[in-house]
Amino acid sequence: MTTDAPARPARTAPTPGGARTRPGWWNRFDLHGSPYLFIAPFFVLFAAFGLFPLGYTAWVSLRSWDLTGDAGFVGFANYSRLFGDPDFWNAVVNTLGLLVLATVPQLLLALIVAALLNRPLRALLVFRLGVLAPIVTSVAAVAIVFGQLYGRDTGLVNGALGLIGISPIDWQAGKLSSWVAVSSMVNWRWTGYNALIYLAAMQAISRDLYEAAQIDGAGPIRQFRNITVPLIRPALIFTVVMSVIGGMQLFTEPLLFGQGDVSGGSLRQFQTIAMYMFEQSFQNFDYGYGSAVAWMIFLLTVVVGVVNLLISRRLRGGAQ
Amino acid sequence: MSAKWWAAVAAVGLVAVAGCGGSGDDAAADGTITLTVKTFSQFGYDELYKQYESTHPGIKIKEDNIAKLVDYTPKLQQWLTAGSGAGDVVALEEGILVKLMAKPDQFANLLDQGAGSLKGNFLEWKWNQALTTDGKKLVGLGTDIGAQGMCYRTDLFAKAGLPTDREQVGALWPTWDQYLATGKKFAGANTGASFFDTSGSIYQNILMQQGDTTYFDRSNNLIVDSNPGVRKAWDQTVSMVDAGLSGKLQMWSPAWNAGFKQGTFATIPCPAWMLGIIKDQAGPENAGKWDVARVPGEGAVRGGSFLAVPTQSKHQKEAAELVKFLTSPEGQTAAFKAKNNFPSAPQALDDPAVAGAVNEYFNNAPVGKIFAKSAKELKPVYLGPENQQVGEAVGDALTAVEQGKLKPDEAWSKAVADAQRAAGK
Amino acid sequence: MKQRNTLVYLTLLVSLVLSIFPLYWLFVVATRSNDVIGQFPPPLAPGGNLGDNIQRLFGPEAEEAHFARGLLNSAIASICVTVSVVFFSSLAGFAFAKLRFRGRNALLISVLATMMVPVQMGIVPLYMVMVKLGWQNHLQAIIVPFLVSAFGVFLMRQYAERAVPDELIEAARLDGCSTFGLFVRVVSPALRPGAAVLGLFTFMGTWNEFLWPLAVMEADNPTVQFSLSQLATQYYTDYTLMFTGTLIATVPLLLVFILFGRQLISGIMDGAVRS
Repeated sequence: MTTDAPARPARTAPTPGGARTRPGWWNRFDLHGSPYLFIAPFFVLFAAFGLFPLGYTAWVSLRSWDLTGDAGFVGFANYSRLFGDPDFWNAVVNTLGLLVLATVPQLLLALIVAALLNRPLRALLVFRLGVLAPIVTSVAAVAIVFGQLYGRDTGLVNGALGLIGISPIDWQAGKLSSWVAVSSMVNWRWTGYNALIYLAAMQAISRDLYEAAQIDGAGPIRQFRNITVPLIRPALIFTVVMSVIGGMQLFTEPLLFGQGDVSGGSLRQFQTIAMYMFEQSFQNFDYGYGSAVAWMIFLLTVVVGVVNLLISRRLRGGAQ
Repeated sequence: MSAKWWAAVAAVGLVAVAGCGGSGDDAAADGTITLTVKTFSQFGYDELYKQYESTHPGIKIKEDNIAKLVDYTPKLQQWLTAGSGAGDVVALEEGILVKLMAKPDQFANLLDQGAGSLKGNFLEWKWNQALTTDGKKLVGLGTDIGAQGMCYRTDLFAKAGLPTDREQVGALWPTWDQYLATGKKFAGANTGASFFDTSGSIYQNILMQQGDTTYFDRSNNLIVDSNPGVRKAWDQTVSMVDAGLSGKLQMWSPAWNAGFKQGTFATIPCPAWMLGIIKDQAGPENAGKWDVARVPGEGAVRGGSFLAVPTQSKHQKEAAELVKFLTSPEGQTAAFKAKNNFPSAPQALDDPAVAGAVNEYFNNAPVGKIFAKSAKELKPVYLGPENQQVGEAVGDALTAVEQGKLKPDEAWSKAVADAQRAAGK
Repeated sequence: MKQRNTLVYLTLLVSLVLSIFPLYWLFVVATRSNDVIGQFPPPLAPGGNLGDNIQRLFGPEAEEAHFARGLLNSAIASICVTVSVVFFSSLAGFAFAKLRFRGRNALLISVLATMMVPVQMGIVPLYMVMVKLGWQNHLQAIIVPFLVSAFGVFLMRQYAERAVPDELIEAARLDGCSTFGLFVRVVSPALRPGAAVLGLFTFMGTWNEFLWPLAVMEADNPTVQFSLSQLATQYYTDYTLMFTGTLIATVPLLLVFILFGRQLISGIMDGAVRS
């Protein structure tokens, strides 16, 4: 198949010839109705299994509800309590901090790795599969391995630091140290994942473009900046949005880092909002309040997501 | 990808979905009743179930066990909220039961099922914990209690020039102040090990010996900053941290687990069930190096559980009978033999199988005697519905002191403020 | 040129070691006995106990973890979910990227919004739905709610935007293709690399999912991660057993990864997306 076909006339005009013998209403339906059929399965199943939980959570968030059951409507009391709850805001700050520490290096690394993998190399398959391997690792394996790496007394990281004369760090105890450790877990696990998305997108770019650029004398870095990055922009936006959503809901890694402690350290130094929601709903059994926290996570994610989208729109505008 | 390919994919999908089934019926045609028991951790009931099924034809028992309590509590919340899934018998850990006591509507009153006559089968405080304050509703029957001993490493004690015989070791610390003094002596000997693993469990032990209330009075008013017992337990623990006695290990962390084998700490307050853990962690090569002595102060109990019957059960009467059987002195003795769960029935405490129990791994320590003594000396303590949250606030503050992140006074103010927030809401 | 290549290889080699090490360590412990725990520095060569450990994992000793059942359940669920998600996401992603219809942007935004709902919160209400359907502890409870994915729709939409040239669609329409015919004959070949990535992620996501199976299934009918968690507590002093379980739980993913990865990586550059 070729793409250099000559421009075709607009398709609204009925095409003469034998190919189209179907009635007009069918054509109209096919053009305007079938897109809805294509997206219907998602919305039907979502309505069945996604909408109810969402609405139910909103309803519960307006009530006082603990392990012993529903204790009645309380209006927005749960939400107003949130605004005066220092533990909640602490969790918001932690989540945003971890989001930055985990997302920025991760996406840059993934971009570099993908670019390196998208070239003819010796033993390419080994490198590609190897670098992407962390994505197959289960959460359990991550917990076990990183638990050992960041151990205070026998951990390999402290052992290595000891070699260059730095005394052992109690990784869990400090705010910054715990953030570094948690974000390194996130980065390790998801860099390959994003690299794979970039790689798939890069492979959809026509070779001709690079060849043309080469003829024009553009070096690999310029080719990367002027061809690769603009052309994989949908993938870039996708990963940024997904990382932000994932980051706002960060839960498993800090939980495992703290050996299953939902309060995220003695001073809640690495408790994320999702952990706080879980602590309130399922450990303190304050289900109404936990539901309010859940809705705040949702709203905050929307806000952060929109800000992000605006920034990337603006960057796009500036670049072109 | 061709149309054929997609068709094949769709077919596989459909077949797979259609073939995805299971079976979970509890209504059998022949009138057999299947009772589902929900537990966490290890209750050691397998033999008891078989015994009960053989003496009760028409009853089948199925246990759904969730290994970790932290995974079990969200499920409990979900079962109670959805009004389904809790089965016929649920295990309730002390902290959860205490929360439920304020409004135990979702559980059957075991007094209606003839449990009233069983009062003598339980230590009084254990019975009262599951009884509403008006004395009209009994929510659950007690299973085990976390009677305490103090486990210690004989080789480290010998290295530090301390006695190793368990009677003499117990005599070193009739009180926590003397435990502290022993710890200082131990620390002075520079064995390279810390005196205990973490301050949290020491604090909890001291706290539970400070009279009949801790964070709440009997009208559920928060008294964390006015109850001298709480402050005393806090101060004593802080002085041990200041003396450098804590290994600052987080319970259940890999480093804590490895500590039993490597001997990174010399003592640890140990409930009966922890003996099995120490044995597994320290391994056969350390047999005889661990021993168990009495706990400082007078008796102490942490944790312990109950069995209850949710009202959503369709077989409440049969379920209540099973609960009575499992929590009977004989049942508790069997559970002790199976998994070291220490009984809450006075009769079981005196049962030779419990009272005479020795533990080979711990130099044949008479564990039955040691733990029974701690259990009987214990005075009942009232906890209150928000006990767990307040306890966590104080515990976290203590950890922050241990980690050197807060000064003791700052940590105390923070603990009190957090406790007030947790209780106030 | 030569120097630069050395640098590339060196960078890749370092990333390779960093990426692989945890998996290798998993393998090492699974082939040894419990003595390895607490040793410092840890041993780096595999031992000879893998066979023993696997036998113990599936033997009566670890009976309560129901490991074989967990593997089977997870395999069925992961396959069902992957096939369905890839198919429906390709359809919807293509529609959002290339077809014009009223309300397209609003609908796309609502797809995005559904991803922003924190997953942990849905558990209790979703469980209530399962109770109504009578699906607790049934395999369809971990399959049917996940047959579509907002993530998948969004990924395929972003992918289709670049990978399916508009000219191709125009040409096919002029040849008399219906929209579905267009999808089957023209679009899906072009979507293949994206679909392979999505399939890979979906399979792994379903395989590694923990919270929901734990909520809706019981210990005697678990998924593989649920089994692992049971293993981790009931035998938590038995590290080699845990590691062996984790290793066995990872092997199917590695297989899928190598299969899909190969397809993804080799045939594609000179394959479907030739333009």
